[in-house]
Amino acid sequence: MKKRIVLLMAFIALVLAGCLNTESDVKEDDSSTDSTSETAEDKGTGTASAPTIEILGMSTSEDDLNILRDQLTKNGFNVELNIQPDYGSFTSQKEAGNYDLALNSWTTVTGNPDYAVRSLFTSDGDNSLFADEKADELVNKASTQLQDEYTETYKELEQHVVFDQAYIVPLYVSYKAQAVNHEVIDESTVRLPKSRAAVWEDYDFVDESKRDSEPLILQQAIGALTSLDPIKGNDGSINTLNTNMYVRLVNLTDDDQVVSDGSLSLNHAIAEGNEDYYFLLRDDINFAAVEDMEAVDTGERVGAEDVVFSLERAKDKDSVPDHRTYSLHESMKEISIVSDLSELDTAATDGGTVREKLEEGIDNEITELVTDKTQVDNESGVYQVVKVTTENPFPQVLNYLAHQSAGIVSKDQVESINTYDVEDYDVNTDIAYGDQRTVTEGNSYDNTLYASGPYIMTHKNDYEAHFVKNPAYMPGTEKEPKISEVIVKFIQDPDSALSALRNGEIHILNGVPETKYDIVEEDDKLTLQQNESNGVSYLAFNMDNREVSSSVPLRQAVLYSVNQEEIISFYQGNKMNAVSTVTPLVDTGLSLEADSEKVKELLSEYDGN
Amino acid sequence: MSTQQVFALKQSEEYKQAQFTFVISIALMVIFLFNVYDFSEDTWSMGWGIFSLAYLLISVLQGIITYCIKRDLLTEGTIQKRSRILGAIQLPSILVGNVFSTAFAFRMLRRKPSIEYTLSYFMLIAQFLIVGVSLFNVFKPYVSDKFMMTMTVLTLFLIMDIVLVLYFNRNDVVHQKNNKLKWLGIALFLRGVTGNLFGFILGYSLLVKSTNRDASAVDKWNKLWNKITRNFTAMLGLLFVIFTFAISVASIGTFVYSFASENNYEAMLLEPSLMHPFGTDNFGRDVFSRIIYGARISLIVGVVTTIIPFVIGGGLGAVAGYFSKSLDNVIMRILDVLYAIPGILLAIAIIAAFGSSTTNLIIALSVGSIPTYARTMRANVMMVSNLEYVEAAKALGESEWKILFQHVVPNSLAPMIVKATFTIGGAIIATSSLSFLGLGVEPHVPEWGNVLRVGSEYLETHPYLAIFPGIAIILLVLSFNFFGDGLRDSLDPKMD
Repeated sequence: MKKRIVLLMAFIALVLAGCLNTESDVKEDDSSTDSTSETAEDKGTGTASAPTIEILGMSTSEDDLNILRDQLTKNGFNVELNIQPDYGSFTSQKEAGNYDLALNSWTTVTGNPDYAVRSLFTSDGDNSLFADEKADELVNKASTQLQDEYTETYKELEQHVVFDQAYIVPLYVSYKAQAVNHEVIDESTVRLPKSRAAVWEDYDFVDESKRDSEPLILQQAIGALTSLDPIKGNDGSINTLNTNMYVRLVNLTDDDQVVSDGSLSLNHAIAEGNEDYYFLLRDDINFAAVEDMEAVDTGERVGAEDVVFSLERAKDKDSVPDHRTYSLHESMKEISIVSDLSELDTAATDGGTVREKLEEGIDNEITELVTDKTQVDNESGVYQVVKVTTENPFPQVLNYLAHQSAGIVSKDQVESINTYDVEDYDVNTDIAYGDQRTVTEGNSYDNTLYASGPYIMTHKNDYEAHFVKNPAYMPGTEKEPKISEVIVKFIQDPDSALSALRNGEIHILNGVPETKYDIVEEDDKLTLQQNESNGVSYLAFNMDNREVSSSVPLRQAVLYSVNQEEIISFYQGNKMNAVSTVTPLVDTGLSLEADSEKVKELLSEYDGN
Repeated sequence: MSTQQVFALKQSEEYKQAQFTFVISIALMVIFLFNVYDFSEDTWSMGWGIFSLAYLLISVLQGIITYCIKRDLLTEGTIQKRSRILGAIQLPSILVGNVFSTAFAFRMLRRKPSIEYTLSYFMLIAQFLIVGVSLFNVFKPYVSDKFMMTMTVLTLFLIMDIVLVLYFNRNDVVHQKNNKLKWLGIALFLRGVTGNLFGFILGYSLLVKSTNRDASAVDKWNKLWNKITRNFTAMLGLLFVIFTFAISVASIGTFVYSFASENNYEAMLLEPSLMHPFGTDNFGRDVFSRIIYGARISLIVGVVTTIIPFVIGGGLGAVAGYFSKSLDNVIMRILDVLYAIPGILLAIAIIAAFGSSTTNLIIALSVGSIPTYARTMRANVMMVSNLEYVEAAKALGESEWKILFQHVVPNSLAPMIVKATFTIGGAIIATSSLSFLGLGVEPHVPEWGNVLRVGSEYLETHPYLAIFPGIAIILLVLSFNFFGDGLRDSLDPKMD
């Protein structure tokens, strides 16, 4: 009996052993046919040492970090992850230099390629990643060129920065996705522009009778607002809010064309030579202020004086403490009010005169130009024209003028609030215009905002911010804000925000996570809007005192270890390939392919040094 | 019903177990039945259907057996042989994973269960589960290099366990010198190293009885394990704890780590299947393998974070309770300060300061529970040190430290051990909660909290990603609590 059992067992074992593949069998097969998929252990025995790479990131991008860890490990690196819970601790780790690779993302909010490279790739950019003379040269060269010429220059720049020097490792370009509750909101009024922030004044309810009785409820992740002074912030906490509080000279369309629609200018024109830019101002926007939590019309018109003041301070590094956006506006040499009507008779870039361009489609021809905004009367042909002159021919200046940091503030109001000395500014005692403390509920509340845009913030707390419509913003036109009150809820976690949308707590959610598209599409009351975005995720090398700072082959080895296709398949195809931050704006024709063979060569080259 | 009949029903362990098994089998059947039909997709599931049918059959059988036992007890006062044989029909129910009815069937096969018989059949069940779960690897694209060897060893152990069950079913172990049993005991003791700790206990039991020890030690051992082995829920708890431990050990040879840790972009978010019994997560990792590997971390962290405060807190508590009042005050007031800080908050603070790693996690969770152990130990030491035998030792001029650690501490340990079994459960939950919050071990490490966190993001679209790790955590914690309950009952002098 026992013998039989033993025999039977042996037989079963034999049969099983015959049909089962073991790990080493599979690995052998792999390495004979395709040697790319060797594991880290195999590598460890083969080459002398596996370089250790420390990747810094935030917990919100944990998925990306995990994929990178996996890909780098499979290519023979030792990976350590440094995951920080929030942006503050991420930045402090970055400043301390505790990383080899930092996972960053960049969104070109102005929609022009110059901004996508200037801030990151030039030695003196405000988010400069490295100092490289050739890169500086190429960025400056491209900025003076028009679209047909700059494609080649940006291609050269990408080749240099990404492939030759491997300063950055591009990961992917994101889509933008927005979910709208179409039972409450008329979804045809909700735009999803590629670059510019949400356009609140267009939004409307399905039931138009609710415009004055119900608030529109939106969401944003960050509740600590950098500053409500447009030039003092350029981040996710204020971008949408300031865009809707301050009007600009021009706007971007959904696909990043510069237009005057819905802006302070009726028309704009470029004079021949690409150095002088003219803007014909409209007279139906007044500043709004807050009194007793209600918006009131101050009676003060948004005029050319305010434009000159706003743009002068935007380009002047020392106009305010913590000026965060001057580098965007440095290209402007002079901003002036045109008083001489004959000046408009100069030739425009694409035929005709500037005056013809400015008068295109307006009801009353220009009969007189004034420098005092109180004398303006468009009906009788009395207008104001602002002229912007750039240092060099720089057509992309218009994109910067469409950015929220070029929002128009009131000269009188800002000057009356910002009475401190910029050099002796003390954040604890001096309260600057737009300081979030002035609108936060509590003892420090003292709302001094003057809004030139469609809405004005009345007050905020840690959970939400309240806005009301500017009563003197283009009344009677189709750009007059439709909904009287807007509430922006601060919900940090994207999953909680989606839940809030689904249970009706908020009406529109900007930034639906890629993995949740299905849920939105399956929900009967929601519509998913999608558009390409200018958001690029990339890894930046630490260029200061690290192994990776000095070794180009090591950096390139990391570059060719990253497989964008795998990342895109993780996001179920809802990401696009990237080469650099200009990828969404300029098609340079370059692409990055993962190549394990190349990684091996580069690593042995690195070992050899 | 006469009082005698009521008494017979109340006294019968078999009847209680039969009812318990009946109810739980029906409950499981209902759960499976609920899964047979997919309401949203309008489809029937074959796998769940088979399971439901099997459990339906088991429940019906169990109902009949329960009825027979009741009739026997009411008419005859004892369970008849016929009913016991009927009970044995439930043995194969282990094939569909019903450990309740299997354990019950084994119980029915012996009129008066001995410690050794109970331990041996639970050992067999645990071993069967280990082999069964490990066999799922056959459906994977490939198995680990040591798979065949490990499976052979595991299967040999399984055969050995069957023989042991048969042996102990026929023979009682009595307290007398017996060389054969001694060697069997040693063999089983060593076998415990492979993870099946029932072997460890059984081996120790045989060694205690077969080598010439003093009768009081044997008596103490018998008393303790008689109570535990008769407590069905405590044994089931112990079964799952030991199974978890054993599968963690066996997984070294049978599971492939890369399935649990390496991303596979071609196999993301797959539904449960034979190849991936619990499906795959958003990175294409096999959730089944991740849970098996996660058991290792959960158990290690759970046990170590219990041992550290047990030793440190116990030591401080013993010193505080035994020596002078001023020393007591100093130690206990310092510990009071530590006690005032909420444990999980302290852990979060420690991890935030020193970064997330397994070692930091263990330290963070250990520090917080030192004061509670110190308090328990101090109270026991204070009580025991007033007993006569301590006074006698003092009168004999023994040194203070020797009295404390030889006479007082060993007699104060019982409540500490009970407390420890409960805190292991708490520690496992704390580990998982911290990982769930992203504060525990690194996110790619297969740990139950991490697995659950990924699942929580897909609760709506792929609920199984959260259900399985959730069940694993619940079961392990529940098992420790059940076992701790049983242990407390048997160590509590008031229950004698």
